[in-house]
Amino acid sequence: MERYKNIAKQILEKLQARGADMAHCSVRESEMREFNVDGNEFSLFRTLFNRYIGITAFIGGKKGSVSINRFDDEAIEAAIENCVSAANSATPDTAWELASGNGERYFKSGAIVPETEKLFFRTKELLNDIHTRHPKIIVEQMIVKHICAKGVYMSTTGNCYISESGKYAAELMYSAHEGEKSTSFYGSDVTVTDLDKPFIDCALIERELCDIENQIDTAATNGKFTGTVIFTPACLVSTVFGNICGNFASDGVLLDGTSLWKDKLGQKVADERITVSFKPSDERIVNGERYTGEGYISEDYDFIKNGVLQSFMLSKYVANKTGNERAKNSSFAMIIESGDTPLEEMIKSIDKGLIIGRFSGGSPGTNGEFSGVAKNGFMIENGKITHALAETMISGNLADMLNNLVAISKETLVDGTVVAPYMAFDGITVSGK
Amino acid sequence: MLKDIITPKKILFVPNAHTELRGQLSRSRGATVVSGNLTGNSRQDISGISARVYKNGTYGFASMAEYSPDAAEAVLRAATENADFMEKNVNKGKGPLPNINCGCRALDCDIPDAEQKRYVDFARSVDDYIASKYKNLASRTVAAREDSMEKLLCVSNGFDAHTCLQRSYIYVFLNAETQSGAPVELFKAFGGEGGFEANFKDPEALYPEIDALYERLMQKREGIYADAGEKTVILGGMMSGMLAHEAVGHTVEADLVLGGSVAGPSLNKIVASEMVSLTDFAHTAFGEKTPLPVYVDDEGVEAIDARIIENGVLVGYMNNRETAQHFGMTPCGNARAWAFSDEPLIRMRNTAILPGKDKLEDMIASVEDGYYLIDSSNGQADTTGEFMFGVSMGYEIKNGKLGRALLDTTISGVAFNMLKTVDMVSDEVVWSSSGFCGKKQPMPVGMGGPALRCKVMIGGR
Repeated sequence: MERYKNIAKQILEKLQARGADMAHCSVRESEMREFNVDGNEFSLFRTLFNRYIGITAFIGGKKGSVSINRFDDEAIEAAIENCVSAANSATPDTAWELASGNGERYFKSGAIVPETEKLFFRTKELLNDIHTRHPKIIVEQMIVKHICAKGVYMSTTGNCYISESGKYAAELMYSAHEGEKSTSFYGSDVTVTDLDKPFIDCALIERELCDIENQIDTAATNGKFTGTVIFTPACLVSTVFGNICGNFASDGVLLDGTSLWKDKLGQKVADERITVSFKPSDERIVNGERYTGEGYISEDYDFIKNGVLQSFMLSKYVANKTGNERAKNSSFAMIIESGDTPLEEMIKSIDKGLIIGRFSGGSPGTNGEFSGVAKNGFMIENGKITHALAETMISGNLADMLNNLVAISKETLVDGTVVAPYMAFDGITVSGK
Repeated sequence: MLKDIITPKKILFVPNAHTELRGQLSRSRGATVVSGNLTGNSRQDISGISARVYKNGTYGFASMAEYSPDAAEAVLRAATENADFMEKNVNKGKGPLPNINCGCRALDCDIPDAEQKRYVDFARSVDDYIASKYKNLASRTVAAREDSMEKLLCVSNGFDAHTCLQRSYIYVFLNAETQSGAPVELFKAFGGEGGFEANFKDPEALYPEIDALYERLMQKREGIYADAGEKTVILGGMMSGMLAHEAVGHTVEADLVLGGSVAGPSLNKIVASEMVSLTDFAHTAFGEKTPLPVYVDDEGVEAIDARIIENGVLVGYMNNRETAQHFGMTPCGNARAWAFSDEPLIRMRNTAILPGKDKLEDMIASVEDGYYLIDSSNGQADTTGEFMFGVSMGYEIKNGKLGRALLDTTISGVAFNMLKTVDMVSDEVVWSSSGFCGKKQPMPVGMGGPALRCKVMIGGR
């Protein structure tokens, strides 16, 4: 770690000598070991040794950033020169600000040392488990890896953070097949800190494989109706709350003033049963963020609590530009509070609707309107799943949806990066041929 | 520019295995102005070396963030150890890859590097122009970008090569509101292959096209929702290029075929109207250089065109050397890696539907009640061929004439069904190359096509 600290210290001193009023830099090294499976067969074992230096300087309120992956003096000198040159070509902005005075901190988390043989065993076991339990599944690609990183973040404003972390991750892309019939592809992911459990028992992988196997025989939806749609946890995070964060609460939409929620802080924006937080220190989150890109120590915060908007997801820069508070962390460690309705009960309560695992559509507009294809889903009629979906589109409005909540499931997805239940919303337009 | 430190290391390649040793320098430069605020101003230089070794059906790969003779030796050792690990624990017993044409290709271009001030000043000039001329916009974003990949490749069998792919763009996003307060956005990318200085000498050269973009945005602001349902449409060249890439191209990547894509059982079958042919071009198309030419891929294959659909029949896939052996096809140079630390994957290069003989104006005139769909905001497709594209600009066609502009809508369908409905193909191909294709790694790709008359599902409100 001393080497990283010395590099960072020298960079900051040189930047200050060249006129920087404020600067920060990250120096780190990482290693990755990764097994790949393609088309149901092992294809690759790779080992990566990476380096990174990120430098940002502020000169008279003007910001410039440079990143390189070399630690030699020549490359660092050139990077400093380029960073100063970039800052000098910018326009001044008094909104740039870094955290200050936190001193030296040490963060360590996860599995630092890889168990490569055991990782290979678990990968092979996962492939075998899929073949045995789900013979209709073809694994298009599976990437199983261990990543560890160590490094230093240092700023001229009195922060020095030393960190070490490691984790295992499995990412699968697969579809089910029978003769010439096949399903849409689907992806399952999990991140863990140890290899104690078979991967198939982690997150919702087993359940998701079952669901995909049951989607081989599909039926197209005829006509158009307005109904209830259950979003699976992964789809809820990516399609619903991922877009809500981006469209209503992120830097971009607050900075350009297009957020529908720009005046809604402290007001009700969702059903009171909905609580969404960002908690990188939650024990279910693997190697959660410990400090933000602007050097602030990450703290957990509520985004929406009991339906009321508690915070935007702003950097300090955009907070300063817009007169708002910055978010207490910059991670996407999303925790959506679960409900008390079993998924089975949720399905039983729906007269006509869908349960969908993936949404293929364009990014919703800043007004929240979305439309696209419902993928990896099933039709629900009279409280029962009747068939898998084909060529079915859904449309609605994200902001309206949050106030049309039907139920939140007891079951949750815990995949190491998010925690989320199933959620059912009413008033969604479903259309077919 | 990379010095050749890897050729002397060829003597370290182990016998009875296919080995690739690649040095790479990837650069990116960018400046972003959001409604007058310079929010991005950054440069990145990433270099290193990697080796990949193939033994009996599996690969070992290793990379280091260091471009030096020592690093070359270290990654060769580590990749060989990884290949040995896989051979011992997996051993597919597939034997060696078939030999291919060997040769050497030298770098044939400079790799200029503009100062950061050029990106910032250019983006600011364009933003100032928009801000001063068009006061009724809700917001605007101007981004100046350049990225380049310089590679030095040595292989145990195939082509050694020193190549570079450099491209630069100005991206302009304009946002306005309809009378009811709904947002409308249009986007255009200017630029293409080459360095920033060469592609962007004077901001004023872009102003006429920015004016035209604004005019279209104002038309869209007054636009209507499309009627939902199956409609006769003219897909403009940008849309047919998206179709070629997303809905057909991915399904015929041989690794996805092995993963169960719809193209597996469709080989040598009719998958489109006989008016439709589709090729993934290497470096030259219709007598001109393609938007992003590839001459040698990262497995040492000299790049040639990959013919995919001919007169409606699926005739081939895009392969790497291993899948080409599996399917008994010729590798055409589709194995490409993004960063030095990435292994080559099967990727598209310049994928296009071939032009026909029809005139666009005749095609529009032939539609009694339908739509002319020009630009796509995004596109997604499944390995089943089911696709969904966002339509960001289009017009209604009534009695053969263009009518009102459309608000954002989507089209969807199944590629090999929808392509069978094509009954007119225009004589002009439109290319685009400003985006990245995502498949484990990002990759710059070109895509193009003529206008197509066809039937497709269009979403309404």
